[in-house]
Amino acid sequence: MEQNHRRTIRFKLNGRTAITEIATHETLLEVLRRDFSLFGGRESCGQGLCGCCTAIVDGIAVSGCLYLAAFVDGAEVTTVEGLASGGKLHSIQESFIANCGFQCGFCTPGFILMTKELLERHPQPTTDEIRHYLSGNLCRCAAYPDIVRAVKAAAGEHNR
Amino acid sequence: MKSFDLAEPATIEEAVALLDPEDKSVRAIAGGTALMLMMKTRLFQPTRLVSLRRLNGDLRGLRVNQDGGLRIGAMTSLAQLEYSHLVASTYPVLSRALGTLSNIRIRNVATLGGHLAHGDPHMDLPPILMTLGAKVSAVSPRGRRWVDICDLFTGYYETSLIKDELITSVEIAGQPPGVYCWYEKFTARSADDWPTVGVAVRYIVDSGVIRDPRVAVSAATERPMRSAAAEAALTNAPLAPHVLSKAADAAADELEPIADLHGTASYKREMVRVHVRRALEKAAQWRR
Repeated sequence: MEQNHRRTIRFKLNGRTAITEIATHETLLEVLRRDFSLFGGRESCGQGLCGCCTAIVDGIAVSGCLYLAAFVDGAEVTTVEGLASGGKLHSIQESFIANCGFQCGFCTPGFILMTKELLERHPQPTTDEIRHYLSGNLCRCAAYPDIVRAVKAAAGEHNR
Repeated sequence: MKSFDLAEPATIEEAVALLDPEDKSVRAIAGGTALMLMMKTRLFQPTRLVSLRRLNGDLRGLRVNQDGGLRIGAMTSLAQLEYSHLVASTYPVLSRALGTLSNIRIRNVATLGGHLAHGDPHMDLPPILMTLGAKVSAVSPRGRRWVDICDLFTGYYETSLIKDELITSVEIAGQPPGVYCWYEKFTARSADDWPTVGVAVRYIVDSGVIRDPRVAVSAATERPMRSAAAEAALTNAPLAPHVLSKAADAAADELEPIADLHGTASYKREMVRVHVRRALEKAAQWRR
């Protein structure tokens, strides 16, 4: 492999400095799982449709499976593992548990990260806004009614 | 995917110098949401990608032009457009359409320049921009030229851009007061799918008579295109149901749909007929 096909990237990962060496074609999702053992993001559809690989880069939600790892050099990345602080879960995580907003849990990290962005853009979302915003996240257990309830409850918490 | 040379130039001059007019395996990458899909399926195996993410200047920002239209930097994300109050007040037809493009994560990353340069006939914004009137700034080592949006798309995933030209910004024309606009997106499979047919319309009504009508169709055909026959059927005709139906028939007869996963050619021809009529009707209803 040619030398300019590999590079070292430095970024903030869940609040801490992260440095790793990558190949140019590797995706953010691959690198988070391989180099940092962050398994909350999963590759499911591999096409940006299902939302299981969601990560937050500089405050915006991206599909980790379609995002070159090289592009997070200098950026701030948040994964679901970075939401809890001081041993306490984030209020959105608490709300998903309290409202049973999942069955198998495979898609849950993606739904939680998308909900975080949703509530930043729409602090008091209507049901339609929630359904529209989360339309790019698929739950094969079809826990959708409970997910919508969890998001609404989290919005109440969010505004307290 | 295979690894490749990834360049991240800091200026437009450096970026266009890194592109190669003769080499199809060298391309610019902005958000990369569409290119990554092609790379993952090995439809496209780059030797070098030139990332535009460090570029500033002309490629960024949104401002009002003298004619009341907007100048939009090519690196503006689709989500930035979707949430822009300036876009919502200037071109409500664009804001409404943006909410239906793919999903929010893709809109967060995909850029306006990439959306146009990709040349995919299923993209939603090209037909709308063709009806509003727009031009793109294409910069190469030879300087800048302006390309009318109606001359940008030359075929299936083909544009009139030369391989070392970059879209740096898009200028959309200001619209007269009381203009009627609509974009009708028809997805035959699921709501979030690529369209089977996209129809954009824009016209003015003066004393009950249609003036300066524009009708553009995407997804059904190999590239987004205006329908001259539909526009002729509308010009100086009264805003009446039989006129709108006649224009829809004219578009369906004139355009040559192509079959793909979203429908057969004959099905798409009928869908063009239905959705041109609906777009023309909804433009008038929404105006009221």
